[in-house]
Amino acid sequence: MNKKENNHVVMAQGIVKEYREDKVPVKALRGIDLTIDEGEFTAIVGPSGSGKTTFLNVISGLDDATGGSVRLSGKLLSEMSGKELSDFRRDNIGFIFQSNNLIPVLTVEENVEYVMLLQGVPKKERHERVKKILADLGLEDMADRRPNRLSGGQQQRAGVARAMVSKPALVLADEPTASLDSEAAESLMEIMRELNEKSKITFIFSTHDQRVMKKARRLIVLKDGKVDRDEVKG
Amino acid sequence: MMFKIALRNIFRRKRRSIITMLTMFVGFVLAAISIGWSDGTYNNIIDSFTRNRLGHIQIHSQGYLDKPSLYKNIENYDSLRNVIADIAGVEFTTPRLFASGLASLNDKSAGVRIIGVDPEIESRATHLDRKVAEGRYFSAQPSNKALLGRGLAKILKASVGDTIVIISQAADGSIANDLYAVFGIVESGDKMEDRASFYLHLEDAQQLLVLQNRIHEIAVICDNLADVPQTSAGIEEALNDSGLDVATWKEFAKSFYRAMRADKEGMWIMLVVILIMVAVGVLNTVLMSVLERTHEYGVLRALGTAPGQVFRLVIIEVLIIAVAGVIIGCGLSYLINDALSAHGVPLPETFTYGGVEFKRMYTEVNLRSFYIPALSVVVSAFLVSIFPAVKAARIPPAQAMRSV
Ligand SMILES: Nc1ncnc2c1ncn2[C@@H]1O[C@H](COP(=O)(O)OP(=O)(O)OP(=O)(O)O)[C@@H](O)[C@H]1O
Ligand SMILES: [Mg+2]
Repeated sequence: MNKKENNHVVMAQGIVKEYREDKVPVKALRGIDLTIDEGEFTAIVGPSGSGKTTFLNVISGLDDATGGSVRLSGKLLSEMSGKELSDFRRDNIGFIFQSNNLIPVLTVEENVEYVMLLQGVPKKERHERVKKILADLGLEDMADRRPNRLSGGQQQRAGVARAMVSKPALVLADEPTASLDSEAAESLMEIMRELNEKSKITFIFSTHDQRVMKKARRLIVLKDGKVDRDEVKG
Repeated sequence: MMFKIALRNIFRRKRRSIITMLTMFVGFVLAAISIGWSDGTYNNIIDSFTRNRLGHIQIHSQGYLDKPSLYKNIENYDSLRNVIADIAGVEFTTPRLFASGLASLNDKSAGVRIIGVDPEIESRATHLDRKVAEGRYFSAQPSNKALLGRGLAKILKASVGDTIVIISQAADGSIANDLYAVFGIVESGDKMEDRASFYLHLEDAQQLLVLQNRIHEIAVICDNLADVPQTSAGIEEALNDSGLDVATWKEFAKSFYRAMRADKEGMWIMLVVILIMVAVGVLNTVLMSVLERTHEYGVLRALGTAPGQVFRLVIIEVLIIAVAGVIIGCGLSYLINDALSAHGVPLPETFTYGGVEFKRMYTEVNLRSFYIPALSVVVSAFLVSIFPAVKAARIPPAQAMRSV
């Protein structure tokens, strides 16, 4: 493996994903080759059903690919055990999901703290980091609430806080701004951009939102499970 | 952390948790009571059977048990008695002498089993005096008085005050015969036995059979049924080279012992049935809750929770409920078992088992009746949740998160 390959956070080769849960198999991804390097701030766009969510799931090991290979920081996903894969996600990837992704029995604070608990971060540091990120996202008053007592936007922000709090090397966000008003969407993009620039966190996010696309430095357009366009903005 | 989530999940679905817990609780209590009942009954019956009649341990001359004979007798009872009485666990020792003979009254006659007993000790050890249903018990001195089993009295048409002729063979080869006044009628509880029993004062019997100072059996009553094996070993050691056989009730009452064992197996079957009930109930609710939370498990897995941790989460949840059910169950079944052991349960019909009549059954409060059901409930709950837990741990996170 040469030096350049080592810098690829994600390296996808010939990815095919076929959903076979129904009688008629659905080809969601039809051969995707992509590399994403450290420090990128990349948007994945495309019409509904083009395969954005599927792509994010496959490159993070949340779902198995039907064909092709995925390397995360040089490691082949297909060679990792379930435990290795979860440990890798725990230590390196933050997720922001399209919706409905908090643990209902935990408070906002506990939800955000959860990954750090898995990582074994000391209590004091955990609490400081939780406090800071909740303040950054304007959730300090919601810390002790359960998710079912938050608005959709607040839930989404709590999900963002959870994904960012452990400063993962890679953040995957599936339509992070979908349930936010334009002001909140704006500020979330600011936070993400700042983390990207200051902490060198790599961001890959899918979106429909024109304003969000504009912030991206690289735009990957999916269409019918294939890369239609891939442009880096100056 | 997993514990916290599990606990909160339990409270989130209070109704279902309570129903699951109740299932386990009821299973536990049923199992605990059935063990208490079974053990109580078992020990009740054995103790009545042995303590009140045969004795827990019997000592005979070598070979007597296999092939009884007038001549296989014990001659130094007086010294043996003292040796045995000193052994730990021995409560009473009582001497007995047996022979067969023919009894006649007027134109009726019947084969009898002559049983020579020491009236004073026998009444203390096996309460023979309490079994006298009519007439009176022996006096301390030999006086040619006899007690007849109820069945035998019927056959001979004998009543208290009649005089019965006994003919037998004496140890010296002569014909033994004598006259005895019927002093009382005995109902031992064993009707078969009562058809042949002819009780005599030990000394009267020795004189009849020309067996001065000799006996055939020393019956030993122990303080405690549970200690019989140790006490028996102690006696055996003490009588080491005396040429006597020491046997516990399990040996000299083989068929009775086998029947009791079969009864105990019945208890295990009942236990298994109860546990299957619990398991099916638990499986159902665990499957439901895993299904319902599939989405959450997907999120947890996406965040980096290891499959093993998700597995544990499911198991912990079930175990918390199981342990709670067991703890509450312990309280209730203790109260029930304790009450039933103190007051007993009147039986709808008195029944005779191994020759002893039972009117009331007492359960027993013992450790077994707690830990066996507790272990079974917890273990079966655990076993039943393995499958759903593996399912929750294995499903690809994305697929899990698609389910609502
Ligand atoms: N579990 C599934 N079973 C069958 N087909 C599926 C499944 N999930 C997604 N698909 C199909 O795969 C294709 C890609 O879906 P995907 O969710 O990746 O699209 P998307 O780009 O994220 O869309 P959206 O913008 O609406 O979120 C679609 O045609 C969809 O119908
Ligand atoms: Mg999508």
